[in-house]
Amino acid sequence: MRNSIIKKITEYSRNDKSIFLITGDAGYGILDEYKKNFPDRFLNLGVAEQNMISFSAGLALTGYKVFIYNIIPFLLYRCYEQVRNDICYQKLPVTLIGIGSGVTYAPQGVTHYSIEDIALARTLPNLVVLSPADPVEAEKCAEFALECEAPVYIRIAKSGEPIIHKDKIEDISKPQVIRGGDAVAVLFHGSIGGEIMTVLDDVKNTAKIISIPMIQPIDFDYLLGILKGIHTLITVEEHFIEGGLGSIISDWIVRECLPFELKKLGIKNEFIHAIKDNNGMRSFYGISSESIKEAIKESLTSR
Amino acid sequence: MTVSTNMRNTEKELISIAKEARKLIIEVAHRSKSAHVGSSLSCVDLLVALYFDELTINEKDWLNRDIFVLSKAHAAMALYAVLTVKGIIDKETFLNYLQNDGTLPAHLDRFSAKGIEVSAGSLGHGFNMALGMAYGYKIKQDNRRVCALIGDGESEEGSIWEGALFASKLGIDNFTAILDYNNLQGYGKPNEICSYEPVIDKWKAFGWEPYRINGHNFVEINNAFKEPNNGKPKIIIAETVKGKGVSFMENELKWHYFIVTDELREKAMQDLSRNINAE
Repeated sequence: MRNSIIKKITEYSRNDKSIFLITGDAGYGILDEYKKNFPDRFLNLGVAEQNMISFSAGLALTGYKVFIYNIIPFLLYRCYEQVRNDICYQKLPVTLIGIGSGVTYAPQGVTHYSIEDIALARTLPNLVVLSPADPVEAEKCAEFALECEAPVYIRIAKSGEPIIHKDKIEDISKPQVIRGGDAVAVLFHGSIGGEIMTVLDDVKNTAKIISIPMIQPIDFDYLLGILKGIHTLITVEEHFIEGGLGSIISDWIVRECLPFELKKLGIKNEFIHAIKDNNGMRSFYGISSESIKEAIKESLTSR
Repeated sequence: MTVSTNMRNTEKELISIAKEARKLIIEVAHRSKSAHVGSSLSCVDLLVALYFDELTINEKDWLNRDIFVLSKAHAAMALYAVLTVKGIIDKETFLNYLQNDGTLPAHLDRFSAKGIEVSAGSLGHGFNMALGMAYGYKIKQDNRRVCALIGDGESEEGSIWEGALFASKLGIDNFTAILDYNNLQGYGKPNEICSYEPVIDKWKAFGWEPYRINGHNFVEINNAFKEPNNGKPKIIIAETVKGKGVSFMENELKWHYFIVTDELREKAMQDLSRNINAE
């Protein structure tokens, strides 16, 4: 996904001289071409995250449209207050491109996981939060950010995610129906979509699969429209169970008194000490294709 | 004392403008029961020097103005007062500082009034934003200047030193930082709390062009701005007095917090008027 995003930014940068790319010492092999093509609009601001964000806000105040590339904890956690005060409070056109969503980097250790980033990003007014599921969505998210005057956070895994979308995406701001189904709906965001796609044959047409690339704000009217006839919602995310998409949907159901049953699949809210790779972690925390398949089947039989 | 010949306003005029600004600060501090009176008074002369002598900030050519960022934004009253004397903020807006349904908050909100370049309040943010602005203008070959005022307590923030490390490397020579060294932070003196000194050596080691001056002497301030920066970002370490201009507030830590009561307002105003007559 990161390649499709950087490619899009590069493409726009040829005509739009206001685009500026900043990294916090990440992007070896990924940003080389951008750096070569636009040396005057590229900076490595090193391992100094607070300065990186505030400095970017300053650049934006002079008319630049700034993209910042870094690993999520060093883009959103270490410098949360800078993102809050300098970018979001001031409503500046700065896009944060965060890599290593969820436990992408397992088993690097909890310092490098981003399992609470949606929870944090949700606290920031003015911030558009995007979590693309595949390179097709990622490209659209980059386009959205390039056209957007507001602060944007794009959460991606890294590279090599399978393509989920067969068709062109019309509007990235809306929930995306990946496949139809008539009883249960699986709502997800991000690269966990890869797990969901492998269970499609097993659950036939019973589960409607919906990717939600724009997590903040969510077009709830549109979402409700595509949930006609659905009795159970299953949220799946590579993120803490509490605080992410599952919580957003749960709040919505309560707020609007909606008649949906809700199952939330996600990573238990705890510090992870287990040593497992990305797949191992997904199995361990019940967000692998097997767990998703089971959750769907359970929802079908319990009715 | 070196005499500067290229001041836009005479030293006497600047002193009188600063007195007016100080009176405005006392007035709104009294009305609003605001804290940070001492922190505001220490940097008044520096702000007056910036707005009435050094920087080009005119309503007529607003889009091309020089940029001033108040990074130690708890001294917002000082900035509001100087902008009011300058005619950029109107008096009524100013007098409604901190009042219910007024528009000016205790810390800066760039959407609140004209002339507030950045939103700030949490320390160690404005300085870095100002560096980003200076860099942005520099690479656009826009020759305007950017200045930021930081506090001595604020200089304990890691972000200040992150910015310091990068600014010199990036050759941000259209930037001047001014350190309001009033030697009293929230709960003590910087050098008693950490290894603050030698502060000039620290900035020099980070690749900056530092100058140390008396931050209440307009000629010295003017000269420091005129000094060459040798292709580096410049920092003016301005020794100041917390609470400057009001005798009972000067060098008193409590005036980081204390409020101006009716009685103290009268005393402070008398003090400021007396000082004017003395000059």
